[in-house]
Amino acid sequence: MLLLQLLASGIQTGLIYALTAAGFALIFGATRIFHVAHGATFALAGYAFLETAVAGVPWPLACLVSLVVAVGFGLFMDAFVYRPILRHEGSFFTVFVAAFGMVVVVQSVLELAFGRSFVSYSSTLTRATAVLPGLYLAPIFWVIIAVTAAILLLTGVFLGRSRAGIGLRALSENPELLRAFGLSARRLSALAIALGSALAVPGAVLMAATSGLQPSIGPHVMLISLAASIVGGIGSLRGAVAAGVLLGVTESLVVSILDTQWSESAGFVLLFGFILFRPRGLLGQPVPR
Amino acid sequence: MIQRRTLLAASAASAALLLADRFSAAQEAGSYIIGTLFPMAGPNAEYGTIFTAGAQMALAHIAEDKMLRKPVELRAEDSQGTPQGGATGMTKLANVDHAIYTLIGFTGVSKAAAPIGQRNKVVMVNGGGVGPDLSGLAPLFWNVIPLIDKEIAAILPWLKAQGSKRVAVLYVDDPLGNAALQQMTAALPANGATLAGSFSIAPTAQQFGAIAAKIRDSSPDAVYFASYGAQQAQIIKQLRDNGVTQTLITYSAATIPSVRDLAEADGLVFTAQISDWTLTDPVTQRFVKDWRAKYNADPTTYHQNYYNAVRLFGMLAQSLEKADKPVDGEAMRAELLRVRRFALVGGEGSFDDNGNIAIPIQINRMKGGRAEKIG
Repeated sequence: MLLLQLLASGIQTGLIYALTAAGFALIFGATRIFHVAHGATFALAGYAFLETAVAGVPWPLACLVSLVVAVGFGLFMDAFVYRPILRHEGSFFTVFVAAFGMVVVVQSVLELAFGRSFVSYSSTLTRATAVLPGLYLAPIFWVIIAVTAAILLLTGVFLGRSRAGIGLRALSENPELLRAFGLSARRLSALAIALGSALAVPGAVLMAATSGLQPSIGPHVMLISLAASIVGGIGSLRGAVAAGVLLGVTESLVVSILDTQWSESAGFVLLFGFILFRPRGLLGQPVPR
Repeated sequence: MIQRRTLLAASAASAALLLADRFSAAQEAGSYIIGTLFPMAGPNAEYGTIFTAGAQMALAHIAEDKMLRKPVELRAEDSQGTPQGGATGMTKLANVDHAIYTLIGFTGVSKAAAPIGQRNKVVMVNGGGVGPDLSGLAPLFWNVIPLIDKEIAAILPWLKAQGSKRVAVLYVDDPLGNAALQQMTAALPANGATLAGSFSIAPTAQQFGAIAAKIRDSSPDAVYFASYGAQQAQIIKQLRDNGVTQTLITYSAATIPSVRDLAEADGLVFTAQISDWTLTDPVTQRFVKDWRAKYNADPTTYHQNYYNAVRLFGMLAQSLEKADKPVDGEAMRAELLRVRRFALVGGEGSFDDNGNIAIPIQINRMKGGRAEKIG
């Protein structure tokens, strides 16, 4: 029963990782912008939700506030950080440093505004009860599964069926061709960042309830997103989601055979394994030799 | 052959350096420099804020009382709560800021910084780290906080009285956590109990769902955890959320707002030094009164410790000034060992040969966001 419990814990953690990584993968897949500030978006979304919910605002409205903050920050980054850099020089390193600098700024702002303490959203949904002897599940386990499934479905329909979604997929392939079809690469890029930032919200809200938040969570989130994006296949949204689950389950199951402190490292061993033996990731494009 | 221009440039640079050094020395001659080596960013930054607040109040009181002939300046370095940060920060405090007295926290940070401080004759006072090997770490390294061996020794009889026969230990894999595990492993059998299981975690770990499952599987009567910072709150929340209903026990690191304010921390048992804010001695009275007036809340033991650390500097430097002796590391150590007993917040504090303060430990239970003394 311990293995089943570890698997359930891993799925819960992994789905939160998946939700965290999905936004980053979408943005990188469509725009090729290495959006390190996705971690900052996540932190802002989480704090926006927590602070409004703690102030007595009903949780659906708090989620909406969180969504507005996340999308607003994403669009701000696009308009005032990425766009000017890409207009002038546009080197990968400049974009990376600028985005990383913004992560530090956001962390400091959160520390000033809300203090440096750990904060969490207390809910009965996170309290696990025994569903079978030795198997404890919390209602939020099912919520996380439902939310992830719904988001994957909606994002899949948007990217596969809508004109804007197809444009987003084309954006990473051939921006010049987009212009020939009368589409604006700039607008599509902003749409990708807005959508990717919105995808940070469910993960941030669920993490606020399950593990809690602190101002320095941004880099940690970014590390998970990056690992999931590489394992899943650079730029593949579905791959990132699958990799998030795989990372969570691996971290959880490994404690059944190894010392508990290897839990976190196991995910990164998996990452190195993929880099060495399957660099295209789970669902990525083959790497040309 | 050295060119004339190169020679001129080198001379100008040397002159500038000499002038800068003299300017810096002149500045320092005007004040005592106290350095702080606290985590100011990252998951342990909450401690940095708390530690600094305690020190600042003591500085204000020293200035108000005109205890010293020269003003005291606080210079901060971010230790990031890591040994690397401790070594870098102490090097800068000693060599660039020329601090003569430093406030330090965290076991790993202290162990990395102590040789550097000792080499530079800088006094280091710890009010936050509790690893047992911090005792006698260096002649100029003192502790104004009881170390974890004292805290564990205090909780063992309580565990026995509660009938806890199987105790699981969750510990962070660093000098502090390993020391806690070692002591629990050695002491539990003598206490009529056994170690139900030991579970190590990385200092950066944030997910404890799987570990909760392993702890439940080990069927303990109580769970002792040794961690610090935001990780403590995450441990408490996730163990409770994942069905660990046994008594959770920890040490004084839990006396921070993020643990106190956590709903899941209700019932948490923790040891800490005695902090009686109702004491009537003038030092405690003034500290508590001013603290409540400034922050509209009660102070924590960490506030008390770093207040005491700075107050100790004030008293040592005052004695040395009166005796017309230099205020430096060696002189302060000699003065500490000569006087031994000082009027501090919480009553009279006495120091042993290793510079460790002696304070009794009490057992508390968290209830409704407040700590209740239970033993």
